[in-house]
Amino acid sequence: MPLGRIPQSSYYDARNRPGAALYRARQPYLVKNAVTGLFIIGFVAGVYSWTIRAIGQDDFSDVPMPDAPIQAGHAPHTTAGSRSAGPA
Amino acid sequence: MSSRRVCQRCSTLPASIQRAPAPLSARIAAKRCFTLSRTKQPSKSPSDNPPLQNKRRLSSLESQGQRASSEYVAPPASQQPSQSPHEDNSRLLLKPDNLFHSFSNSPSPEIRRRAAFMKQNAYCPHPAHAQTRQPIGPHDLEARKTGTHPPAHVRYECPDCGIPVSCSYEHFADDYENHLDICDQLREINEDDHDLRSGRFFPEFEYPGPQLEEAQVNMTNWDTLLYTREFNAIDNERSLRQATRLLTYPITIGSVIHELSPYNIQSGGRLTPEGLKSMTLRYTLHPPRSGAGMTVAGLRPNPPPTRLFILGARAESSLPREVWIQLVHLFPRAIFHLIFIGPESMANRDAEFPLPPRTASNPFGAVVEDRISGQMKISTFVEYYHTLHAAGAFAPYDPYFDAFVLFHPGLGHPASSHEWAETIPQLLETKVPVICTGYTEYDMQRDIKWVHDTVGGEVDMLLEPGENRFRSLRWDLNDADPSDVSCGNFGLWAFRGKRYETTRKDVE
Repeated sequence: MPLGRIPQSSYYDARNRPGAALYRARQPYLVKNAVTGLFIIGFVAGVYSWTIRAIGQDDFSDVPMPDAPIQAGHAPHTTAGSRSAGPA
Repeated sequence: MSSRRVCQRCSTLPASIQRAPAPLSARIAAKRCFTLSRTKQPSKSPSDNPPLQNKRRLSSLESQGQRASSEYVAPPASQQPSQSPHEDNSRLLLKPDNLFHSFSNSPSPEIRRRAAFMKQNAYCPHPAHAQTRQPIGPHDLEARKTGTHPPAHVRYECPDCGIPVSCSYEHFADDYENHLDICDQLREINEDDHDLRSGRFFPEFEYPGPQLEEAQVNMTNWDTLLYTREFNAIDNERSLRQATRLLTYPITIGSVIHELSPYNIQSGGRLTPEGLKSMTLRYTLHPPRSGAGMTVAGLRPNPPPTRLFILGARAESSLPREVWIQLVHLFPRAIFHLIFIGPESMANRDAEFPLPPRTASNPFGAVVEDRISGQMKISTFVEYYHTLHAAGAFAPYDPYFDAFVLFHPGLGHPASSHEWAETIPQLLETKVPVICTGYTEYDMQRDIKWVHDTVGGEVDMLLEPGENRFRSLRWDLNDADPSDVSCGNFGLWAFRGKRYETTRKDVE
């Protein structure tokens, strides 16, 4: 415990909760600050949601997809022979 | 809190307080060495008195002045202000939940004296009585009196507010609806008066010192002002009322002349464009930085102090100087000269008599206090302003440095308007802003009407009349008429003599 007292504002009580004088001093700004806060949070939420939507997967449901090719007896996923690795 | 050094004079104060017939001598002595010691006297004893002018409102100013010594047992000057609550309780005369007492049965002898005064001087307002004086205005209860009963002094005290308001129970019951309008306020006044004499520790009279210049002050209302000025938190409404009653005087002036004033030229802001032009004081009060320092290289030419002429000063001239210093702390780089002028400017300052002799360097025998602070000097002239103006005592007047302040002057009040008749045209001639306050809305409007009637169109309004944001929150009782409640500096307005840049010349 330090020798001198930790400086404490009289506007907060012993448990660091704001006192009545502090509430009265803040009172002209409560509504304006709350509305401003809502705007800021709304803006941030909007940016987040738009960004995540924008980088999401594209929707290809309107593009006609060809049917899968009919291949019988192939071993699937053999890549060693069927794919060339470029110029050797 | 650190221990406070006490000068020799202040350490002898407690004995002198109880002995002295003029109890304010001790307080004045405390005031003189207030930079050395902060004794816990209820140092606002003279300043508690509502600024009542004897002619306009009978007051028990003298009896109120006796209050401090007779009731409050001052703690020894060396006592630490941060007393433990147990020791304080032993000196407490009235606990906070025991503050309501009927005035006649009050534990405080001073209040009992006031009750006796009221019973000898105040008349019952019931309409059945005959009038005793001309009604002052449409709201004056005197105007209702049409009966023929002889006027009777008040004797009956309302059980809810404890203040004698009627001559008998029958008249009280008859007039009850009218009384109900002010009963709550009277009760609040009653409790506040007892609170002041309750002997408790008054933390709200500890004022802060100067603050960092960059820590701006917010002048929206009392709470924001006290917070940004780093006052100790005043949670209790009663304490706030007691504190604002004194602080209203310097802060009202400060709120008008500060650059962050809440009055502006937007609609609803009450300042007129002429008013903005007249706030040239702000150039002096908020000067640009000049590179001044503490060395020889940092010497800079300094402007003369801002002179605030407080005319018709009564109780405000006896306010503790710690209260007036609050004005200085609002303006970090400005210096002030407060000049109290008026026949009653030495009210409640009996210890400072006799006045200095009239010499060539002090032709009017002014009391000059120049040791208050490096930034403030206070002079008190016991003269009418028109005498000093005619003598050229303060000429020349410069709107960049000077302002006149009139605290509830009673310009239009029948008892005092003749005294102002000679002064007001002189004020207009100086073209310097004049800031006025009033006890009530009606008082203020009457003053404005009187000014317009007396000097016609020679007046420019600088600040539209309205409620002062920094009025005293505590209501005061007029001992001569208990139904008359007012508060210090309720209304605020400002004017100036018209400046004609060009005048019309009749072309024939």
